[in-house]
Amino acid sequence: METIGKPLKRRSRIHSSEQRVAYICLIPAFLGLIFLTYAPLVGVLGISLTNWTGLKSPEFVGFDNYVKLFTTDPYIKDSIIATIYFAFLSVAGSMIYSLFIAMLLNRKIPARGFFRAVFYVPFVLPAVAIYVGWSWLYEANFGFFNYLLSEVGLNKILFIADSRYVVPSLSLIAVWLAGNLIVIFLAGLQNVPSVYHEAAEMDGANGWKRFRHITLPCMTPIIFYNLLMSLIANLQVVTPALALTNGGPGNSSRFMTYLMYDQAFVNYKLGYACATTFIIFAILAAFTAVLFKTSNRWIFSEGGDDK
Amino acid sequence: MKAGKRLGGVLLAAVLAIGAAGCGNSENNEKSAAPTGGESSKAPENTSSPTKKVKITYSMWGSAEEGNTTQAVADKFNASQDRIEVEVMAIPWENYMTKLNTLATANQLPDTGMLREDGVIQWSSQGMLNDVGSMYEGSDSKPLDSLAYKYQGKTVAYAAANEILLLYYNKDMFDKAGVPYPPSALDQAWTWDEFVAAAKKLTIDKNGKHPGEDGFDSQSIVQYGASVENLPWQLETWAISNGGGFYNNDGTEVRIGENASVEAIQKVADLYLKDHVAPLSVGQTDDGIQRTVIAGTVAMATNGQWNVGTSLNTAKEQGLNYGVAVLPYMNEKVTLNTGGANVVFSQTKHPEEAMEWLKWYTSEENNWGLISSGIWMPVLEKWYTDETLTRKWVENPNFPPYDEYKSAVVDYAQSSAARPASWFYTNHTTEFNTLLGSILGDVWTGKTTAADAISKNLEALKAAHSGSQ
Repeated sequence: METIGKPLKRRSRIHSSEQRVAYICLIPAFLGLIFLTYAPLVGVLGISLTNWTGLKSPEFVGFDNYVKLFTTDPYIKDSIIATIYFAFLSVAGSMIYSLFIAMLLNRKIPARGFFRAVFYVPFVLPAVAIYVGWSWLYEANFGFFNYLLSEVGLNKILFIADSRYVVPSLSLIAVWLAGNLIVIFLAGLQNVPSVYHEAAEMDGANGWKRFRHITLPCMTPIIFYNLLMSLIANLQVVTPALALTNGGPGNSSRFMTYLMYDQAFVNYKLGYACATTFIIFAILAAFTAVLFKTSNRWIFSEGGDDK
Repeated sequence: MKAGKRLGGVLLAAVLAIGAAGCGNSENNEKSAAPTGGESSKAPENTSSPTKKVKITYSMWGSAEEGNTTQAVADKFNASQDRIEVEVMAIPWENYMTKLNTLATANQLPDTGMLREDGVIQWSSQGMLNDVGSMYEGSDSKPLDSLAYKYQGKTVAYAAANEILLLYYNKDMFDKAGVPYPPSALDQAWTWDEFVAAAKKLTIDKNGKHPGEDGFDSQSIVQYGASVENLPWQLETWAISNGGGFYNNDGTEVRIGENASVEAIQKVADLYLKDHVAPLSVGQTDDGIQRTVIAGTVAMATNGQWNVGTSLNTAKEQGLNYGVAVLPYMNEKVTLNTGGANVVFSQTKHPEEAMEWLKWYTSEENNWGLISSGIWMPVLEKWYTDETLTRKWVENPNFPPYDEYKSAVVDYAQSSAARPASWFYTNHTTEFNTLLGSILGDVWTGKTTAADAISKNLEALKAAHSGSQ
C-alpha cells in the first residue's frame, strides 16, 4: 500500500477533490452503518446487561444474564449444538450438491436453460409454503415418504418428529434450497479458462484429473465465497424452527436464532435475549475468523504471489 | 449480525415509541389548546361543560377490517350515552403483545384492551393492570366463576370469551365399527380404560386387524382410534384428572414431579407407544383437529371448543359427520377452560369508564358473530342457565345437534369438572410450558419415559415457574 500511496500524495488537486467527493458520497452509507448496525449493536450489548422486560424500566444487572446462560439455562447448550450440527450438514451438503449440479448445468445438455431454472426455483419460493410442503412429505404417520416406505415394506421413519432425524431432515431442505449457490458456481465455472482443459486433454488427463487439478483450483475463490455466505446463513437458521418444528422434538431443532426470538418476543425477556444475541454474534464471528485465517492455505490465486 | 440488527430494531422501535410519546403529549396539548383558536372567543366555557365526553382507547388483536367491525360496535356504545367515547385500536395478532410492550415502555398504553391468556398474571405482577373486581357489582348476570383471572386474591381481568376442552369424534367411523358413541353427559363419561378399549376397536391396519389381535401390524395402520392433544398446556387436564397437576391450587408450588402427574403424561404417550391407537404427535403445533378428525385419519380427538367455529364448521359443510362428547377421565372428571382476557391498564386515567365500556362490550350481543359461528362461547352465566338463551346461541347450522352440544359443552362448561387453566392464577406459564414441551420431546417417541424426563428436569421446571430461569 505504501508504495502506491506515496506517489498519490503528490498528485494534483483534482485528485484530492475527487477524494472529497468520494467521502461525501460515502456519508449516507456510513450513517446507515453507524445508526442501523453499529449503534444497535452497542445498544444490544447495553441491554444485555439489564433485566429489561419491556414493561418496567430496565435495571442494571451486570453480567447476570451471561452467567445464567452458561450455568442454569436449560436450552443454550442444546441450541448451540443443534445450530452447529445443522450448519455443518447444510453447508457441506449444499456445497457438494450445488457444485455438482452447476457442473452438470455447465455442460452442453439439451434444455439447459429450463434445467437451470428448475434448480433455481426453490430458492425464490416463499419459505413458509416450502416448509408446509415438506411437512407433508415428512409427516410421521401418513406422510408421503412414509407411504413410500410402507409400500416397499419398510418401517416408518419419524423424520422431523424424531430428535435424531430432525436436523438431517431440515438440512436436506436447506440443501434443496441452495439454488443461489448453483448460480454463483455456474458463473465461476464459465470463467475457468478452457485453454487449460484443452491442454490437459491433449496430455491425456481424464475427467476426474481435470476436475481435481484444473476446475477445483480455479474455483477456490468462488468456493470460499459460497462457503462463507452459506455458513453465515446457516448458522442464523430460524425459519424451519418457526414454520415446522417449534424447536422440537425436545430441543433438537431449537436453533440459536429461534431461542433468541423465543426469549425476546414470546417471553419478553429482552435483556436476556440480548445476551443470547451477543453469544450468537461471538460464535458467528469465531467461525468467520477461522474461515478467513485458513483461507490463504487453500485459495488458489492466479497471480500466485500471495503465498 | 442479522440477529443483532433485529434486536437493534426493537431498541430503535422503543426509541421511536418514546419519541412518539413526546409527540403524543404535544398533541394532547394542542387539542386542549385548540379551542382558543376557533370558537373559544365566543364561548370559552364550552371546554369545561359537562357534555364533553371522556375519550378512551380499546386495543384488540385483528386486522384493520376486524378493527372497523369493532369500531362500529363501539360507535353504538358511543351513541347510546353522552359520557364516554371509545376508539378502537386494532393490532395484528402476531405483533400484538410486542406492540403493547412497546406502548407500555412509552407510557402510551390504551386505557383498556385484550391481553393474551399467559400475559395477564405477568402484567399484573408488574403492576400494569387494574383490579376489575367491581365490574359486575349489582349486575343480574356475572361471568362464570372459572373465567376470572386472579392475582393475589384480586380479580385483574375477565376472559373475553369462554373455551373448554372436549372430545370430538367422527360418527361415521363409529357406526362402521359398531362402537357406541362417546358419552356427551358428564355422569356417563368414559374412564381412561373404556376410552382406550373403544379406540382399539376403531384402530385398523391395512389388513383390517385391530391392536391386540394376532397379526396386527402397527406399521401399517390406516385409521387411528384416538388422539389426545399433547400441547403442554392441555396436558394439565390429564395430570389433574389423575390426582396430580402442574401446580397446587394457588399456583405457588410445582406438582408435576408427583407420580400421579407423571403417570398421566405417560398414559397419553402410551396411546401411541403401547396401545397403538394414536398417531404420533410431538405436541408442538396447534392444529390437532385438522391433523386428525378433519384429515379423516382418526376417529376421536381431544381439543378446544373453538374448533367448532374455526375449522369443523367448514368440514361439516363438506360432509364430515362429527359429534362432541365430554373428555374421558383417569380419577377425577376434569376439563380446562380458558379465554383471552379483557383488561384495564393501570396507566389509564379513566378506569371507571373503561370498565363500563368493557362490561357493555362483552355482553354477548356485541360479539355475536364470533359466538354464533362457534369460535367463542359466551362468558355470562345466563347463557348457560337460561334455555331460551342457550337455544338462541346453539341452534344454528354451525353447531352439532342441540342436545349433544348442550350436554357435552354447555352443561360441561358450568359443571364442577371445568377448571381454569393455570394462566388464570399463576405466572410464567409460557416459560414453564415451553420447557415442559422441550423436555417431553423424546417421551412421545419412546426414547425416554415421562418419569425420567421430568425427574431429570424438575429443578429447571421449578426455576421456570418461579421466573428465575
